[in-house]
Amino acid sequence: MMSFTRIPRKTWSNWLGVAPFLAFCLAFEIVPVLLLLSGSFSDKQGAFSLGNYAKISAPIYVRSFWNSIQISAITAILGAILGLLIGYAIFRLPSPRVREALIALSDVTTNFAGAPLAFAFIVILGSNGVVTLAFEKYFALKLYPAFSIYSYSGLVLAYLYFQLPLMILLIIPAFAGLRREWWESAHNLGANTFQYWRRIALPILTPSLIAGIVLLFANAFGAYATAWTLGGSNITLATIQIAFTITGEVLHDPGAGDALAVVSLLIMGVCIAIYQFANSRARRWAR
Amino acid sequence: MAYLELQNVSKLFGAVAAVKDFNLAVEKGAFVSLLGPSGCGKTTTLRMIAGFEMPDAGALTLDGMDITSVPPNKRGTGMVFQAYALFPNMNVRDNVAFGLEVTGHPKQEIDERVREMLALVRLDDTAKRFPHQLSGGQQQRIALARALAIRPRVLLLDEPLSALDAVVRVALRGEIRRIQLELGITTVYVTHDQEEALSISDRVVVMNQGLIEQTGSPEEIYRQPQTRFVAAFIGTANQLNGVVVDRTQVRFGEILLRAPVPSGLNESSKAVVLVRPESIAIHAAAPTDAHNVLEGTIQTITFLGPITRVGVDVGGTRVVADMAASNRAAFTHTQHVWLSFPPDACQVMANQ
Amino acid sequence: MKQRPLVLQSLLVALFVAYMILPIIATYIFSIATKWDITLMPEGYTLEWYQTAFDHPYFSITLTNSFIVSIAAVLVGLLFIVPTTYWVHTRVPSAKPLLDLLMILPFGIPAVVLALALIRVYAFPPFARSPFLLISACVIFSMPFMYRPVSNSLMAIDVHTLTESALSLGANTLQILLRVIAPNILPGILSGSLLVFATVFAEFTLANLITGASFKTFPILLVEFTRRDGRIAAALSVISFTVAWLASIAILWGSGRGRKPTEEALGAR
Repeated sequence: MMSFTRIPRKTWSNWLGVAPFLAFCLAFEIVPVLLLLSGSFSDKQGAFSLGNYAKISAPIYVRSFWNSIQISAITAILGAILGLLIGYAIFRLPSPRVREALIALSDVTTNFAGAPLAFAFIVILGSNGVVTLAFEKYFALKLYPAFSIYSYSGLVLAYLYFQLPLMILLIIPAFAGLRREWWESAHNLGANTFQYWRRIALPILTPSLIAGIVLLFANAFGAYATAWTLGGSNITLATIQIAFTITGEVLHDPGAGDALAVVSLLIMGVCIAIYQFANSRARRWAR
Repeated sequence: MAYLELQNVSKLFGAVAAVKDFNLAVEKGAFVSLLGPSGCGKTTTLRMIAGFEMPDAGALTLDGMDITSVPPNKRGTGMVFQAYALFPNMNVRDNVAFGLEVTGHPKQEIDERVREMLALVRLDDTAKRFPHQLSGGQQQRIALARALAIRPRVLLLDEPLSALDAVVRVALRGEIRRIQLELGITTVYVTHDQEEALSISDRVVVMNQGLIEQTGSPEEIYRQPQTRFVAAFIGTANQLNGVVVDRTQVRFGEILLRAPVPSGLNESSKAVVLVRPESIAIHAAAPTDAHNVLEGTIQTITFLGPITRVGVDVGGTRVVADMAASNRAAFTHTQHVWLSFPPDACQVMANQ
Repeated sequence: MKQRPLVLQSLLVALFVAYMILPIIATYIFSIATKWDITLMPEGYTLEWYQTAFDHPYFSITLTNSFIVSIAAVLVGLLFIVPTTYWVHTRVPSAKPLLDLLMILPFGIPAVVLALALIRVYAFPPFARSPFLLISACVIFSMPFMYRPVSNSLMAIDVHTLTESALSLGANTLQILLRVIAPNILPGILSGSLLVFATVFAEFTLANLITGASFKTFPILLVEFTRRDGRIAAALSVISFTVAWLASIAILWGSGRGRKPTEEALGAR
């Protein structure tokens, strides 16, 4: 953090400079979200009610949340484990240029979510996709119908495409934060490689790992475009149900939409809070 | 045979030799410093003793045993790093206990040793604290306790004070010496700070470009530098370039300086006369009863606390001389002065 | 002894690279393939799908719309977020935690929820389902990408010391801004702008839910075609990927080594 030696003289008029931006955030972020929150606790006449939350206990909504949580958890954990391993492999590459190139690749691909990505997966793993055909031809392995890119298993593969590079980007700085002297001290004091990883490296990496997992979870939980492009209404996720209440493709119930949105916000909020906490932990150690 | 010996040790990094044909014998219980500018190979030498670098040639023996190919975690050397290197995820107690725990000592013994070590470094009450809650000096003392907890056969310190403030640095170096003497532990200490090396060590090894320039007691290193590098690196020395006249005289410009010329130097060969500033006296008038008198003009007068250092231009050569601060008022800038120094304060060496 | 980890290491990296580029390459090839459904490689190559896509009446409309929204989001960012960030850094440091918090919030609000919230509040004309509302939503959604690089470059140069030394050398406020501050934070502003552009250009959720059919963007057209004609969808995907690649390369190239766009944005989370 910077230290500011000059003491601003007119503090309150200085705050005026921030006012336009604050007004914008209030108008298009804070107030709408707060109104959504209050709306979720009101009935059609505007009186306080828990009716909307009763509505979302319907099996379809409960299943959509359960699916969202499962997909997010699976892709977060798989992404974190694979990202940790691949991230370490990249981090330990002898050539800095190759390492830089792979980090740049991760940087680009983690932003490749959405419709084009979903379509690219249809191209390779659709029922006539090139990978599907290659499996059939060279391994005599029919992927369909056990696997389908349009189903949840396909969704996991497609999500991993942006989860994996995100984890790699998050974990490489953490590896870089492991100081060589820690390994050398541990080794000097008699520890072997396993003892070093178990007692020093992994505990130090844990906050970054947790931060990565919750961030990946939130990333997947909030995703919509990829799932919608791949599965359309075949896939029941929380975000897809919320979108339905906007577009009115099924029984259009704005109240239920509000409640679904609030529950999603709650889950996301918990993720961001854990992320912030874990990250501050990681930073404190990195001093 | 000495307790710790390095015989003809060399280490290459690519095509560059970091350490060349290095020989060192450290007696049990001795405190030896490796002193030199950065890149001189001192840290590489220490890391070879610890086992973090494999020598490309030569052998290391410790307590009569060849340790050249023993892995670092089996060597029993305790190392203290420049940047503390405490494990950030463990509190002080766990840091100090680490080396004993990974080698499977019983818990009771560990607890006892931790207490003993924390008392030794005078930080008994910090056991529950985490490294980030300690000051730099405290962290380094814990690092010392951690290295000593495993009862190492040799204690290795790699510039342990360079990350600390000046005041803490002086205090902690006294602590290190006290603990070293108390335990009688054989210690190899790497530093680039000559004052640190001279004040703390039994013996000093001055290194330059992978080679040993000189080995000796701090007094020897200071008073009888064997090479120009040592003379220039340790303290401040005036270097007067001249030509040998005979066994007792060197011609410096038009002046004949009386100085003991070593037997290796022949007449009319090029030589350099080294004189420390504290050996030179300054006179406002030409002295009548002194040897080695130089004449010049004062260029600079620098107040250094207990002494004042005067820079004098002697026919194009800058000569510095120290005087007691109380004499300062007698001299002014651009004043014409005479300098003198006794022959036995001079050291003559070849000018390659 | 060192052999095995190296093999495993290379294998992991190779698999990762394959996973990352295979879908992209396949899409590029698919977009120029005449027929590619039963053979391992396409039977022939053509640019027909691009031609068909270009000829589609919605192609230029949606492309234009997407450019309008993306450029508008960048402009709002430049006129709003950059000055605010600078102002907070130099004049109201006590507002920095608030600003940081506001810049984290968008990560915690799924796009569908943001769309829902905005539609509920702005259900009246002229806001309802308007491109204006879409642009506002995109600004909220993408503002961390603008804020983080700018904030980081302001931190990196220590605006205060620079301003004070410029003042002591006799520079006035305008000279300081134009000749000292701006050149130093320009790479941050550039990389932020490109990142906002790329993010908003690829944005499907907000556009589909806020404006939908009344103001179609390029990703909406793409999703429609994934259900109608895969080959044209491939051509559109390639265009979309290419825009993203170009923006990323420009960011990497423009901001020099060591400053990576996503890392920058992640700093905010």
